[in-house]
Amino acid sequence: MEKRFLAFCLTVALVIGFPFSAMAGPDAIHIGATVSQTGHFSSEVGPFKRLMTSWADLVNDQGGIMVEEYGKKLPVKFTIYDDKSDQATAKKYYERLATVDKVDMMLGPYSSPLTLAASTAGENHHIPFIAVCANSPKIYSRGFKWLVGVIDLGPRYTYRYWEMIKTEGKAKSVAFVVEDTIHPLGVFKGSQKLAEDAELKVLSSDIVPANTRDFTPIITKLKKESPDIVYVSSNIPFAINFMKQAKEMKLNPNEYHCIHHSGIFKDALGSAAEYVIGQSYWVEGMKLGDTQLINDVLKKADISEPRYPWSPAYVAAFQILQKAIENAGTLDKGKVVQSLKNLKMETVLGEARFAETGYGSINTYPSQIQGGVYKVIYPPDVATGKHTYPRPPWE
Amino acid sequence: MSADFIQLLVGGILLGGIYGLAAFGLSITFGVLNVLNLAHGDFLMLGSLLSYGLFVWLGINPFVAAILVIPAFMVLGVGFYLLLLKPIADKPPHQLLVASILVTLGASLFIEDITAYFWERPVTGISYTLPPMEVAGVVISSTRLLVLLFIFALACAMQLYLKKTFVGKSIRAIVQGREGAKVVGIPISRVSALAFSIGMALAASAGAFYVTLFTVTPVMGIPLTIKYLCVVVLGGLGSIVGSVFGGLILGVAETLTAYYCGAEWAPTIAFVLLILILIVRPEGLFGAKK
Repeated sequence: MEKRFLAFCLTVALVIGFPFSAMAGPDAIHIGATVSQTGHFSSEVGPFKRLMTSWADLVNDQGGIMVEEYGKKLPVKFTIYDDKSDQATAKKYYERLATVDKVDMMLGPYSSPLTLAASTAGENHHIPFIAVCANSPKIYSRGFKWLVGVIDLGPRYTYRYWEMIKTEGKAKSVAFVVEDTIHPLGVFKGSQKLAEDAELKVLSSDIVPANTRDFTPIITKLKKESPDIVYVSSNIPFAINFMKQAKEMKLNPNEYHCIHHSGIFKDALGSAAEYVIGQSYWVEGMKLGDTQLINDVLKKADISEPRYPWSPAYVAAFQILQKAIENAGTLDKGKVVQSLKNLKMETVLGEARFAETGYGSINTYPSQIQGGVYKVIYPPDVATGKHTYPRPPWE
Repeated sequence: MSADFIQLLVGGILLGGIYGLAAFGLSITFGVLNVLNLAHGDFLMLGSLLSYGLFVWLGINPFVAAILVIPAFMVLGVGFYLLLLKPIADKPPHQLLVASILVTLGASLFIEDITAYFWERPVTGISYTLPPMEVAGVVISSTRLLVLLFIFALACAMQLYLKKTFVGKSIRAIVQGREGAKVVGIPISRVSALAFSIGMALAASAGAFYVTLFTVTPVMGIPLTIKYLCVVVLGGLGSIVGSVFGGLILGVAETLTAYYCGAEWAPTIAFVLLILILIVRPEGLFGAKK
């Protein structure tokens, strides 16, 4: 009798308890990511672990992200490793995030080379993977089903700049100096075509090894060619070395465009950085809808946008991640990735949507350093300053 | 000669001055101690960062910093020698060379990792430039010209030091024969420590100039050491004049190659020259035949 009673109780407990335990669901939404805390990309994203945890704190202060399947909000929990700016390390950690940490979603590492290597983990283990600052067409040409990227393709990285040049009609020629790495090369290839479309004469295109430190030969050649625009498609250390020597050798084109010209660039060059144009996702004062979230996250993380101009793109990625889960109403990975692919939403950086191959729609704006401040100069409806062209020559 | 060619030649010579200055210390260490110091580029990096700190936080001119870092790194150099190199100093020459490579490679990796961990700015550069000079249409970087003058002054001072002072003569005696030097009562260990610390201080001093011209990262040490090693072999192991001229030759060769053959060929020319010199004159341009 006693045994029968115990069996009855057990059955009742199982029948009643099982659906409750299923409904209770997971304790948190687990997001995996790596940050280049060391190595050469750390100059660009070193403290972004703080950016991620600060956003998670802000969301968790509101109770978390609503997941309909469980009928409640779930807190966001990040697992973050240092990829050391290295492809193999990034790949290793994303495999770990998939197999050991068993995360629900992944945010990509910084840069195209690292994303190219890391994103295979999402594809192989069927985990939604949101690439953040990675825009090489190679990443999106592999037919990956579990990958979307926040930003537009690299060849279109500076399309608004070329639109501006075409509209103004002042510049007539351009010379390219390109760092021989994946992202600068991708940007250069697109820019060369866009420059031709803007009816500029391309005088030369020098593709230079990444570790080049002396630019005397190239600058000597550029002085001879005398282009209106010197366009430097490179990462920041390369651009700093080039600009220092350009000033030393008094190379005076009407305009310098360095695709990356963030705070480190400005600090290391001082007055030589004045009037240099680069690309920004967002600057303070831009007329771009509600950007309060950028301010909130950056303030909490103690990160300054001019110093780390990629930070707003990460905030947009957080918004995309949250919306995709809310729309899916579940943490089922297949449904979340479908929700991501169908997403069309307003982010802090404008409308986000994804092409069939996965790349995103968010792109940069040309910004010029004027009096030590970054001013977005095009298009006029979002601009915070006017384009100074030609730049005052160095004496 | 066209103005462009003269501009390139001047640019190459000025670039060579930087190479020469940086390779100078490596040459002394190798020539005196038979130690191949793979951490040399890291000492240059540390010198750059110290100079950056002095400039940014205390407003000290980088050229003054180039002098100020010398005593600090001499002390560090003595410590480094006593701790890591003295225990292997009595090994036979071929074993010493291999052991020194392993020890200094380990030290290099350690220095890079520690620096990357603690130094908040992974890319460092100083916004310090001197107005360039222009002579007959050829623009000359004043900063690089100063580096060149510094290296010539330093080379002369070192030559005098090695020829006229007791310590200098002791260093030369050790180069000529370690056992013989020991027999005549030269304190091998102390003189070696001093020679190593001079090499280290010269690397740090070169770093102070380096940061005014280029960006500095904590992980740049080993590639720099390899390049400067090419300069040392080109000029002749242990030859001070050789490292200066080796630097100048490499600077000019890289600049002309980049202009006439394309920038992608410039890094290759260092190794082409190295192979050529090893075939034609294995002891280097100014090295003594053994």
